[in-house]
Amino acid sequence: MQLRALLLDAYRQLSAAKLFWVTFGISILVVVAYGSVGFNGQGISVLFGLWEIESEELREGSPWARGLYIGIFSSFLINIWLAWIATALALISTCSIFPEFVHSGSIELTIAKPIGRLKLFFAKYLVSLLFVVLQVAVFCIGVFICVGLRIGEWNPLIFSAIPIVATFFSYLFCICVLVGILTRSGITALLITGVFWMMLWSIQTSEAVLHRFVIEQEVDIERTNEGIEKSEIELVKMQAVSTEDFRIPKLEKRIETYKEDLIESQEFLDKLTQWHTPTSWVLAISPKNSQTIGLLDRWLSDPDGFDIGAIMNGDMRAFEGEEVEEFDRTTRGARERETMRRMRKEYESHSLWYVVGTSLLFEGFILGIASIYFCRKDF
Amino acid sequence: MTAIQINGVVKIYRGNVHALQGVSLEVMDGEIFGLLGPNGAGKSTLVKILMTVIHATKVSGAMLGKPIGDRLTLQDVGYLPEHHLFPYYLTGKQVLHHYGALAKVTRNDRKTRASKLLHRLGLSGWENKKVGTYSKGMLQRLGIAQSLMNDPKLLILDEPTDGVDPVGRREIRDLLAELREEGRAIFLNSHLLSELEMVCDRVAIMVKGLVRMQGTIDSLTKDSKRYEITISGAIPDWATACCDEIQNNTMIIRGDDPLVIQPMLDRLRVDNTTIISVKPVRENLEDLFMRAVDNKDTPGAAQ
Repeated sequence: MQLRALLLDAYRQLSAAKLFWVTFGISILVVVAYGSVGFNGQGISVLFGLWEIESEELREGSPWARGLYIGIFSSFLINIWLAWIATALALISTCSIFPEFVHSGSIELTIAKPIGRLKLFFAKYLVSLLFVVLQVAVFCIGVFICVGLRIGEWNPLIFSAIPIVATFFSYLFCICVLVGILTRSGITALLITGVFWMMLWSIQTSEAVLHRFVIEQEVDIERTNEGIEKSEIELVKMQAVSTEDFRIPKLEKRIETYKEDLIESQEFLDKLTQWHTPTSWVLAISPKNSQTIGLLDRWLSDPDGFDIGAIMNGDMRAFEGEEVEEFDRTTRGARERETMRRMRKEYESHSLWYVVGTSLLFEGFILGIASIYFCRKDF
Repeated sequence: MTAIQINGVVKIYRGNVHALQGVSLEVMDGEIFGLLGPNGAGKSTLVKILMTVIHATKVSGAMLGKPIGDRLTLQDVGYLPEHHLFPYYLTGKQVLHHYGALAKVTRNDRKTRASKLLHRLGLSGWENKKVGTYSKGMLQRLGIAQSLMNDPKLLILDEPTDGVDPVGRREIRDLLAELREEGRAIFLNSHLLSELEMVCDRVAIMVKGLVRMQGTIDSLTKDSKRYEITISGAIPDWATACCDEIQNNTMIIRGDDPLVIQPMLDRLRVDNTTIISVKPVRENLEDLFMRAVDNKDTPGAAQ
């Protein structure tokens, strides 16, 4: 009964805020825009057929059409709209919930009721996430219908965006709650949460960049090692035929250069690892926003690779009958592709526990501090 | 039965501010108990400790038979804090339902009580209007209605008539009297002495975190009872010896026994002295309060 009262109150508080309806309206517009994209026998139609693009690959029934349509949802609508814009709007709307809740004159009325402070705190916290849950739920229903009608796939996994985005939002909202309770100021809570968000983004970006360099360097070392191995075999073969072969010194010099390169690369890798290891530790104990949102991409992308990532990387030729090298270490493009493939594979190997569990541990720690303060505070 | 019984409540805030220095008092069922004191005396701190809003440094005692701080007891306690703030986005009716639900009042009871209380507190017609449109007095009435939603055995009201017009105050006084008749204990915290004097059965005066006086107004003012006899002309010499005090042409005789002053009146008549007035005088609550809060007690908590 008490939880229902708090839930109803949270809904009334949110629906009384204009920003709630503004965000809601924009969400619907985004869904309508998404639904306006369709596929026919010739290619893609945009804005309900107002603009048509002919394409051999992206046409009705093709796996690429599915990859593109789902990819727009998971990579753009979720990653950009929900993970950034809607989250920022949600933070603006909800930043004052806890400061208003603990405001003098208001908190006494609630605390003096037969409800434990800890229960009250967590109930208020959970119902405050209602903003995001409601917004994303309506959004997902719209997207579910669009995907069903446009590509004939009634995919219930789309609704996994609701808990994922709510969890993602909660990583930030816990900071907002802690600051809101400590300072009783919505603006301060919003500002500090914004700074924290930027800090998380910096940590994640730094880790991703360093990780990329590390893998790139590892690929480079592998390539050099293979080069040395090949050259040494070649050298042995040449020496077996004749020790006077004029190519032998050249080959020996090449092997020498490879070895020097290898030492340099190894030193650089060590330096990079020195930076990457602490960064990855910091990331391990902090909320992993991008990876949490990335879960949707992992769950929704086609196991055969017909996803927007491949489309963006220009890997469509694999399905156009062209031969793609398994791992051509001699070209820069192939090395980059291999780096990206390994990075993706590594991120995808991160368990749900690592991505969400450790993030929730951080959230739990912050909420623990906030709840202890709330329970012990004299209002 | 005792509704509130507390012994030696101590509250020391950070910075070694002694807000309460061992407060002990009792509130009985079916009585209106008034707690008064100057600003910073610790009245609101004491009320908040009873309502678990503030944690006491030391507390012993019981409220409705359960230890102070017991959450479930709050189900039977109605509370109106000072300067309360209702969510602006709720209507009067929604406010009552919301706080009623938090107090574990069933939906049916909430429905019945909300409409009854809104009517009883003169808020009929306003139930579906947002509280942001309410006047100060209306918010105060709504606050009292909110405190009664759980049909409490004990009602704790912090400045209930704050911002209410004289008509409203009278209505609230009548309501409190009705609630007392129903057997509820009412704990009033106010600085409006005349209001308290009109409704309270017993009072306690707090100064600097200590209860200075406690009891019925009658018992507390008993020692101040006196007769004042005013005559025309100078006070006769024989009368000086019979009076406790003389002020101009007024003789003051302490005590509440009218028989004591009869011989004096007889003699004044025999002397053909014109008696202008004979007044039985007693301290009012304000006098009592001023006596308790002597000049040395400046407002504020003890350091």
